[in-house]
Amino acid sequence: MHSKPFKTPALPRRTVLAGLAAAGATAAMPMRLRAQEQITLRWWSPQSSPEQLAAYQTQIANFEAQHENIKVVFEKTSDEGYAPQLAAAFASGDVPNVVTHLPSFAVATYWTNGLLEPFNGVIDMIGPDKFYQGANDIYEIDPGQYAGTGIGNSAANMIWLRTDLMEQAGIDQNPRTWDELLSAVQKMQGGGIYGAPLPYGRNSMTSLVFIGVIHQAGGQVCAPDLSVNIDTDATRDALEFYRAMREFCPPGATNYSWGESLTAFVSGACATGLYTGRVLTNVANQNPSIADHITCDLYPTKSTDVAPWTFNDFPSVFIPKQAPNMEASKQFAAFLFDPEGYIQQLHAAPGHVLPVLKTISNDPDYQDNEIIQKYSAEVELMSEAAANGFNLGWESRDHMPNAKAGEIVNSGVIAELVQRVVLNDENVDQVLGETTARIEEIMAS
Amino acid sequence: MQRSMLQGVIVNLVTWTLVLLIAFPLLWMIITSVKPQTELFRIPPTWFPETITFEHYWRLLTETPFLTYFRNSVVLATTTTIFVVALGTLGAYSLVRFKYRGRETLAMLVLFTYLLPSVVLIIPLYLMMVAIGLSNTLVSLILAHTTFALPYALWLLRSFMEGVPEDLESAALVDGASRMGAFRDIILPQLLPGIISTALFTFILSWNEYLYALVLVNSDSVAPLTTGVMSMLISAFNIEWSLLMAASVMMSLPLIVVFAFLQSYLTSGFGAGGVKG
Amino acid sequence: MIATQTITPRLERSYARLGVLLIAPTILVFSLVIVYPLLAAIYLSVFSIYTPTLEGNFVGAANYVKLLTGKAFWNSLGVTLIWTVGTLTLQIVFGVGMALLLHQNIWFRSLARSLVLFPYFLSTVVAVLVWRWLFNDLYGAMNHGLMQLGILDLPLDWLGSMPNAMIGVILVGAWKYFPFVVIAVLARLQTIPEHLYEAAKIDGAGPIARFWDVTLPQLRNVLVVIVLLRAIWDFKEFDLIYLLTGGGPVTSTQTLSLLVYQEAFGLNQMGQAAAYSVGMMLVMLVFMVVYIRKTGKEG
Repeated sequence: MHSKPFKTPALPRRTVLAGLAAAGATAAMPMRLRAQEQITLRWWSPQSSPEQLAAYQTQIANFEAQHENIKVVFEKTSDEGYAPQLAAAFASGDVPNVVTHLPSFAVATYWTNGLLEPFNGVIDMIGPDKFYQGANDIYEIDPGQYAGTGIGNSAANMIWLRTDLMEQAGIDQNPRTWDELLSAVQKMQGGGIYGAPLPYGRNSMTSLVFIGVIHQAGGQVCAPDLSVNIDTDATRDALEFYRAMREFCPPGATNYSWGESLTAFVSGACATGLYTGRVLTNVANQNPSIADHITCDLYPTKSTDVAPWTFNDFPSVFIPKQAPNMEASKQFAAFLFDPEGYIQQLHAAPGHVLPVLKTISNDPDYQDNEIIQKYSAEVELMSEAAANGFNLGWESRDHMPNAKAGEIVNSGVIAELVQRVVLNDENVDQVLGETTARIEEIMAS
Repeated sequence: MQRSMLQGVIVNLVTWTLVLLIAFPLLWMIITSVKPQTELFRIPPTWFPETITFEHYWRLLTETPFLTYFRNSVVLATTTTIFVVALGTLGAYSLVRFKYRGRETLAMLVLFTYLLPSVVLIIPLYLMMVAIGLSNTLVSLILAHTTFALPYALWLLRSFMEGVPEDLESAALVDGASRMGAFRDIILPQLLPGIISTALFTFILSWNEYLYALVLVNSDSVAPLTTGVMSMLISAFNIEWSLLMAASVMMSLPLIVVFAFLQSYLTSGFGAGGVKG
Repeated sequence: MIATQTITPRLERSYARLGVLLIAPTILVFSLVIVYPLLAAIYLSVFSIYTPTLEGNFVGAANYVKLLTGKAFWNSLGVTLIWTVGTLTLQIVFGVGMALLLHQNIWFRSLARSLVLFPYFLSTVVAVLVWRWLFNDLYGAMNHGLMQLGILDLPLDWLGSMPNAMIGVILVGAWKYFPFVVIAVLARLQTIPEHLYEAAKIDGAGPIARFWDVTLPQLRNVLVVIVLLRAIWDFKEFDLIYLLTGGGPVTSTQTLSLLVYQEAFGLNQMGQAAAYSVGMMLVMLVFMVVYIRKTGKEG
């Protein structure tokens, strides 16, 4: 057991429960040594729609064909569930070999806690010059060392529009500013159709979307030096806009997360939507009658002076430091970018996860897809927006990477800000003061 | 006479109205599960499906690991039940019919463990599972489920055990039976309804558990229905309501069938022991 | 206990040994999966620990100071009490009422009983899914049905705003768990001797008087136990609330279990989470002791 920790006033780091974790590692060791001939790699991802699973199986089969002694097991996690699952895995040392599709800020958090293997070698295997310029900057948290890389880009807060409803309402231009958006949704709402499915729930979508709205007002959560800077007029404007939109959102929007919000647009219940290119596949499968009447654009901002701000969660790939069979893990991580499997993976939801390799974007095999061809303008726009996208882990090109972004989002503090001001009508100044204090507390912890 | 007939009809109508209201979610679940995707998001919703389709069931069975989850859940809940009821029966016998130091304290501790919230135990439990090489296995979940199932089972069985008349056992002992012999021949048959009832409750608890399954196991090959179905069908990009409802029906029907048969045990078992504090 | 006068001291000792032997496996499992994790949790509660690495510093009572002085714990305690009292009351009232009806000689009694017991058999996950689908603002049967009946003009937001969210959670909780009360009460009803009712009838007591004078006193013991069991489970409930509202809006339905989970896995503060959970157990312990004392004295 532990050596009387209660007598020492401050324990050195890395000792609490280290005994437990070490015991775990040694107990598992002999089995791994014995398994040297036959290696099993574990691959985790929260993205696991049936089509994506099929693509993963192809990638696994291709990899296993090349490496006879390696078996790869796919294990799915979820957006809400990965935090406790990975926490338990890291704490015990029983970690997966490769993890994909987690947002980049989660990677930053794990990296700064020393839990990840540097990814430079894998990037070299893939070929650094194949990536879009600057695609890996967000993972360069310590100079010269990459915590992971992107497995794709996503433009998560595109505005989706129903061209037929716009036409009916006499709107001839996509809304560019909030005022135009408000007037458009007002005209289109009615007859059982709502204006927009913005999320007002106590969940990560509300936090993530509202961070975007703050930026669309010209504001920020943290300043470039990562001091908290959310108590600004821009945030107040963002809250005002969000409040104004409430009456154009379905009543249940107070509980919306990505799934509900997406379905509200796809089912035709809302005239506008806010999502990635996943909309395209879902419309084709669930409501083909509107397939010819949808388009997307950058989400409007407060005024034309403020540039659009695209939320890209930068779906990632990384390797935990404690992972066994490190060499094989790295080979497999690099193999995920092998064109055949990678393209099938991207095609599982065309426009949802966009390629990070420019060699793939230009690949005729990638372009050879019904949906990508039908909506080529939209896919093009999303690719460009995503490549210039940001998230709370990296709010602008001037910002330092924020390793606490994951905790800020998971703490729900920003969703609570929205709920308290917009739904509960609490005093804005007081709530913003408390929000600042709570974010500062998280940044300091 | 006529008045009491009328009364009977009214009682019947009131009861059945309530019963149907309570069962409405089940009905709606079934209705939703046979609606095609395109009809699902109709506003307003259709009360009766215009087209009936079983494609969702077919997809679940052929294209998803549903059957694997189902098998895992059955193995998990059954093993937990057998393990917990076996331990609990012996333990309850000891607590009720034997005298030794610390017995009362033990009984109090059992009640105390019943208070522990699962969230508290998860991380230490997980670390332990890894240390003994059981992480990501059904065995780890079975052990985790005993944390809430064993105190409950022990507690129920104790009150059932108190309901078994003592003089039967005394008589057997006077006739020269050993304690374990008396336990096997006299106590067990008397306790059977209580054991079945406890087993059912344990099974339900284990079958329904979500949090431990979420944290302790990840791979599809060992995930039970609760977490497997949730993570398979609810994701950031889609909530597959029709598949979810079909899955829900298939998760529930076997249970309903089993419990329809064992329902009388459930109630009579409780009555025989008379749940005591 | 057993015919003490005939048992020799030697036999008594061997019985005691057997008794200990029989309880030994239970104690072993208890120590392994409950006592050890519990001690570990208490141990964790005096550290400031980052969940994924389990690294941290000894902070003494700091986590407990935050528990006592911060708002989070007390707010969640209040929410937990509202939820527990609300849903428990409904469960008992509904459960006893339904048990009385199902005890009558109604048509297809056994089918009716099965249908009523069914919510209790359902996985919480399934129950929550069905209700979320029923409550759905756009395609849900609940809003549509109530609008058709003219009770509602516009779809109601069932789970996203207050007080609806709390009411919704309490209702679903009551629906899910009242069959437990039905089971226990129905079992007890079947054992009430018929002659007690006959006697009351002869004394001229009507059905209502018979309920208060005969049925309720007979049910007292079983109700005392049910309230204790259900109160403990409801107090600890995680799955149902987490999956229905996630604790929202803001923290209006964030019970203590959710607070612990959020602190441990959302904020990665394992030490603080452990301190909250120790506080939670202490609250339950106090309630339980008071309850057992009180009901024990009266009975």
